[in-house]
Amino acid sequence: MGETILELKRAKKAFPGVTALDGVDFRVERNEILGLVGENGAGKSTLMKILIGLQTVDEGEYFLRGERAALDGPSAAIRKGIGMVFQEGCMIPNLSVMDNLFLGNEDSFGRGPLMPVKAMAQAARGELEAVGLGRLNPKSTVGDISSAEKQMLEIARLLWLSRLYGVDNPILILDEPTTVLQESEVERLFSILGALKARASIVFISHRLEEVVQLSDRIVVLKDGRLMADLGRGQADVKAIERLMVGHELAVEHYRESMQTDCGSEVVLCVKELRLGGRFEDFSMDLHRGEIVSLVGLMGSGKEEVCRCLGGSEVPDSGSIAVHGKPARFASPKNAIDAGIGIVPIDRRNDGLATSLDVMSNINLLILDRMRSGPFLKPALEKASARRWVEECLIKTPSLQTSCSTLSGGNQQKVVIAKWLAAEAAILVLDHPTRGIDVGAKDEIYRRIRALAAAGLSIIIMCDTLEEDIGLSNRMIVMKDGRIVREIPCPKDAKPAPVAVIGYIV
Amino acid sequence: MDGLAAAASTAPRAATRPLASRLLSFASKGTRGQIVALAIVMLIFAIGTAGTSVSLKNLQTILSLAGIPMIICLAIHQVVVIGAMDLSTEGVISLAAVTSGFLIKNPFTAYDIGFWVIPVAILIGGSAGLVNGLINTKIRMPSFIATLGMWWVTQGLAVIIGKGNAVKMLDQRFQNIANGDVMGIPVTILIALGVFAILFVVQRRTRFGRYLYAIGGDETLARQAGIKVDRVKVIVFTITGCIYALASILLVARLASSNPRTGKDLMFPAMTAVAVGGVSLSGGVGGALNAVFGALIVTALNNGMVLMKVSPYLQNAVNGIVLIAAVAVTIDRKKIGIIK
Repeated sequence: MGETILELKRAKKAFPGVTALDGVDFRVERNEILGLVGENGAGKSTLMKILIGLQTVDEGEYFLRGERAALDGPSAAIRKGIGMVFQEGCMIPNLSVMDNLFLGNEDSFGRGPLMPVKAMAQAARGELEAVGLGRLNPKSTVGDISSAEKQMLEIARLLWLSRLYGVDNPILILDEPTTVLQESEVERLFSILGALKARASIVFISHRLEEVVQLSDRIVVLKDGRLMADLGRGQADVKAIERLMVGHELAVEHYRESMQTDCGSEVVLCVKELRLGGRFEDFSMDLHRGEIVSLVGLMGSGKEEVCRCLGGSEVPDSGSIAVHGKPARFASPKNAIDAGIGIVPIDRRNDGLATSLDVMSNINLLILDRMRSGPFLKPALEKASARRWVEECLIKTPSLQTSCSTLSGGNQQKVVIAKWLAAEAAILVLDHPTRGIDVGAKDEIYRRIRALAAAGLSIIIMCDTLEEDIGLSNRMIVMKDGRIVREIPCPKDAKPAPVAVIGYIV
Repeated sequence: MDGLAAAASTAPRAATRPLASRLLSFASKGTRGQIVALAIVMLIFAIGTAGTSVSLKNLQTILSLAGIPMIICLAIHQVVVIGAMDLSTEGVISLAAVTSGFLIKNPFTAYDIGFWVIPVAILIGGSAGLVNGLINTKIRMPSFIATLGMWWVTQGLAVIIGKGNAVKMLDQRFQNIANGDVMGIPVTILIALGVFAILFVVQRRTRFGRYLYAIGGDETLARQAGIKVDRVKVIVFTITGCIYALASILLVARLASSNPRTGKDLMFPAMTAVAVGGVSLSGGVGGALNAVFGALIVTALNNGMVLMKVSPYLQNAVNGIVLIAAVAVTIDRKKIGIIK
């Protein structure tokens, strides 16, 4: 075992309603490539944020090179020799490659009033060479170079800075570096990372388990904020890691499965061969009355874009969408609303609600036409409608005139749903409905979703965890790289095990 | 990583190319569209006026007219580069003008400090700019609001100090400068080019210049790179205020008179020129050279229309159309997409 240069001991971090890290022991050794895997919500991003000083642990200790680390942000982290490479690179788009490389540290090339541009370009070429970008002109604008080049440029910057600050063996954290790369670029990245290992440690985070197994010297698996396994090279294959990622147990009555109703036979929504260039293609599905269908896939699988097309906020290149058997135009959100499709977005505060307006105005937002008498709105009608939906949806609000910004997350969500119910939407798209909501409130949401389905609404859902997807839905549609790879029925007494499903996803 | 070869191949060649070609590529960097636009404007009016507009005399007139607007344009464009806005232009210029008017030999006061008025005016303009910057960064007020407020304040102060009078300037030396020329080239344009040269070198070759673009491109990342963003912004607003004061002195000298309306109707034309010149209003794109070309295009356009006896009201309308058309045609909107 190599020398440990980074160590996190019993790290705990909690956010309102969620325990992101629950006593994690994590270490990075000198000159190693460490693979870090886990489902969405397993705690990977919180862990990374702690490592680069964007967040601090609630409990536990963080040691860097044997010293207790107190980092107050990414730039402090870089000074201590640990930095993160973001997917798209974190570069200023209108500046040149070399300007970005040396930004903020131009003084190291001399303190004269004029910068020694030639010497800097020369130095930049050397740095680029070291990460395989020898052919990139240091003067090209960063906005014009490819994602792969941006990533490598960021690595070059971290390496240069670590030399500038005199830190030995810097730690580079790469977050999903391969998702934005072509296949040949992935190979290049891996060969460069292999070479870099001689003078740096690399934390490699990826959903692509084959790549993790291929590249990593050691693999750490996170699940629900806990460290599930710490495996040496060759100790685990993809299947074993998948099993560790999802765990075994699935609580029987976790998602109100007993309330699950069978769907009707009537097809409410019929999507045929929908395609959005570069995002997804050949997407077809039928949604029945009272059915809950969950769209499952990683970030970049195309499921988010499908939902945006259904909501009319993105226009597909080809394909058709029919609602209640009638082909509908989906060129704007207005079309989707008219067709009876309601979107309950993940960011309720910013996208779902006019938070500066009161509860009543939000509920009636889509049906103001029905609240009129002549050209004027009739307050009595508005109040009656709002009161009805506040009662039906059990919205806890001091009054109808309360501003939505003061409501809790759960109640804000209920207002969004009430808005769609008032507008008589027949289809709801629920984008991560339990995100940021605490455990008790989650159960209430599960019951509400069941009740909506039982009342005949059809629901497309995207969940935080695979268990939630399986537990809530009548049927799952698994997407990967823009295509449907599998449809999996989830009847209430024969739910598939997550282990059996995850293989299709990653 | 295709296309890399093409990008890389331009680098080593630069050193061996002939001077003329290097100069050409240097001048056209980011201003190609503006050079074409200027050529088209000149060509249209050359035809329209049967050559009068490109006579040596008229070219001198254009340069003489362009000088002061160019200076104001150079002042504003820097604020635009960092992604901010400055609406205080006219007020600051009026305030500096009125104050200067009473300090140069005049019929109202006994003061006559001669050329010492220049540092005094610059102090006034710089202070206004400094306050703009401090309100923007320390009180965290959008620059739009901060400078709009400063416009009201300075405009008001100018009226209070000047009591609404037009003050004649009796120092002939100032007039000689503002209306003079060196070998046929108007002095005002030489001063403008001097300001340009300084800003150009600062933008292309100094850390400070690089930081302007970093802030305009992505302020958060600039901060993360350790740049003292607030300090840079305050300095930019201050320099801009100083340049306003310079323009103000030249205006007073040219008109041989100062009054609280000296700065009136200067900001929108300057802002138009900044945009026509190709400085992106979302920040980070375009520089001093763009400001220079913007001022030249707008001046040549208006001069041509005067020669062709276009009605002044129609001239305004044409300016508006040119502004929108120029921004639509000449700015690479693909690049704007990635700026903000």
